[in-house]
Amino acid sequence: MTKQLIEIREALRQAIDEEMTRDSRVFILGEEVAEYNGAYKVTKGMLEKWGSKRVIDTPISELGFAGLAVGAAMTGLRPICEFMSFNFSFVAADQIISHATKMHYMSGNRFSVPIVFRGPNGAAAQVSSQHSHNVEAIYSNIPGLIIISPSNAYDAKGLLKSAIRCNNPVLFLENELSYGDKMEIPVGEYLVPIGKARIVSEGKHLTLVAHSRMVKVCQQVVEILSARGIKIELIDLRTIKPLDIATVAESVRKTHRCVLVEEGHVFGGIAAEVGFEIIEHCFDFLDTPLKRVCQLETPMPYSKVLEAETMPNKERVLRACEELLH
Amino acid sequence: MSRTKPVEYHFFPSNVDQIFQSLGKERLLKLFKNMLSIRNFEIRAESAYQHGKIGGFFHAYIGQEAIQTAAVEVMGKDQWWSTSYRCHALALLLGATPNELMAELYGKATGNARGRGGSMHFYTDKLLGGFGIVGGQIPIAAGAAFSLKYLDKKGVSVCFLGDGAVAQGTFHETLNLASLWDLPCIFVIENNRWGMGTAVNRAISVEPIAEIKAPSFGMKGYTFDGMDIFNCYAGFKHVFEEVLATSRPVIVEVVTERFRGHSISDPALYRSKEALQHCIERDPIQLMLNVLKDKNVLTDEQFEALDKEQKEIVVQAMKYAEESPWPDAITLGEDVFAKETSKEAFP
Repeated sequence: MTKQLIEIREALRQAIDEEMTRDSRVFILGEEVAEYNGAYKVTKGMLEKWGSKRVIDTPISELGFAGLAVGAAMTGLRPICEFMSFNFSFVAADQIISHATKMHYMSGNRFSVPIVFRGPNGAAAQVSSQHSHNVEAIYSNIPGLIIISPSNAYDAKGLLKSAIRCNNPVLFLENELSYGDKMEIPVGEYLVPIGKARIVSEGKHLTLVAHSRMVKVCQQVVEILSARGIKIELIDLRTIKPLDIATVAESVRKTHRCVLVEEGHVFGGIAAEVGFEIIEHCFDFLDTPLKRVCQLETPMPYSKVLEAETMPNKERVLRACEELLH
Repeated sequence: MSRTKPVEYHFFPSNVDQIFQSLGKERLLKLFKNMLSIRNFEIRAESAYQHGKIGGFFHAYIGQEAIQTAAVEVMGKDQWWSTSYRCHALALLLGATPNELMAELYGKATGNARGRGGSMHFYTDKLLGGFGIVGGQIPIAAGAAFSLKYLDKKGVSVCFLGDGAVAQGTFHETLNLASLWDLPCIFVIENNRWGMGTAVNRAISVEPIAEIKAPSFGMKGYTFDGMDIFNCYAGFKHVFEEVLATSRPVIVEVVTERFRGHSISDPALYRSKEALQHCIERDPIQLMLNVLKDKNVLTDEQFEALDKEQKEIVVQAMKYAEESPWPDAITLGEDVFAKETSKEAFP
């Protein structure tokens, strides 16, 4: 198969473009997606190709345009609703939580909401308290949402295409710091299934679980420990909800040790959920307590020194692994 | 702070005789029957609530019947419709049966939303809901109008909201978007004078609402008399034709007053007996009955028979609801997600 070396942002653009070609009901709206070519250039060139009917600039009005997109999804269209940052989804949270997510159930299955909310999630470079939040833990507490958070270009493209074909509301969480990450991926169409984790590296001594940008951080730790003869099994969740606990549990039953890494805050986080499910499914296989490496319990500070301190990083992940392996 | 000066409305002009002529006896009787159907449904459902058959929140449409009855008659069922949690009437008007609605209120498996939504969440194929969050339906209604335009379909999206929702951000954000994008959407503010227990003049900074706010969004605004079904009919007819022709959104304020509290648990102590009596004097059903009697379309005896017939339908619906099965616990987890159709995307 022919390959192409592309950035995550281009992989996302291809996914949207291919799905718009495939289905005339698919359109994208959001702040700066059209004439500006996207705040992070994910939609570069799309206005020119598809025109303003299907690539739509919105005013700075998240609650309004997210709600409008939910209404469009209920009445026959398949919107992709871009948030310039998922921090701004909080402005639209009522439409996501009380409307998009509840509609199918609450209406006795009369209406469905096939919509993808997408955009960058988590910290970027020194953007401080109001632009750095990881939203997955907050939204994962709401039944009815699908939450996807890919870590590389291959998964980003395949999962976004799957998300657009999904008949339910999807939060598709990207990462600003990763948009430029390059990877060789196939030219042409493929899908990555929703709800399947990926084993990034196989190992037998310890399981590392991560998603999104933290996968890259963990890969560095895998290499460091590999040089010492320690084989880490690294799992990229890819989809947060539905959670592929089977893949995680199978790994933990083999390695008997597990460190959970999450960019978001520690309290009530994804790591807490995955950790608890591990206890439910394979407590007897654990040789040590679980450990988690997450963002500390502070709003994100601006200063790069403080920012580095609160974020999970290679050193903290390595230390956690070493503590369990000693 | 609250305003004390009476509001100066410019009501849409209408002529009872003209409308009477153009509608004809049969359609008029149908409209009247629809209002009676709503009134009877609400009264019986209230009593079922008092008897512990219905739980949760319950907001009656009593006093406001003329508005949605006229709107549905003018525009037909084949538009997109949405409203607040005060949604029983609109569902009935759009063809949901008293049986399925009463069964929903009773929380039964045969209910309109399979016993999942209750009083605030009624649906039909064209009714996007009963919405429980004040103002939540407003952008969603605009989304339905967006779909019509995107798919190149003729029609409008009609969004009912209360005066209380005018203070919400969704109202302002949606009007801006709808105007900006020329969406065929009719926003109908049913000003029933109260946002729960807070009088409209203590919550909304300007009145009349539509007449003042619409121009600031580059839209047209209208005021109708919500107690007068003839005025509502004339007004909605004009607005519907205008939006179909222009694809421009409009705001309508319909001045009305609910006869009950905000919900069944609200005794409405904030409203004096005299004030309530004053608005009941303009009961939309009584006002229409007066015209029908004047024009010799209906006698008192015929009215009583009609009312009794509607009451019987609701009593039957209560029996149906009572005898319907509870939802099987096994169905609890069904429909959290819509069925997926792509095996590759979602194995």
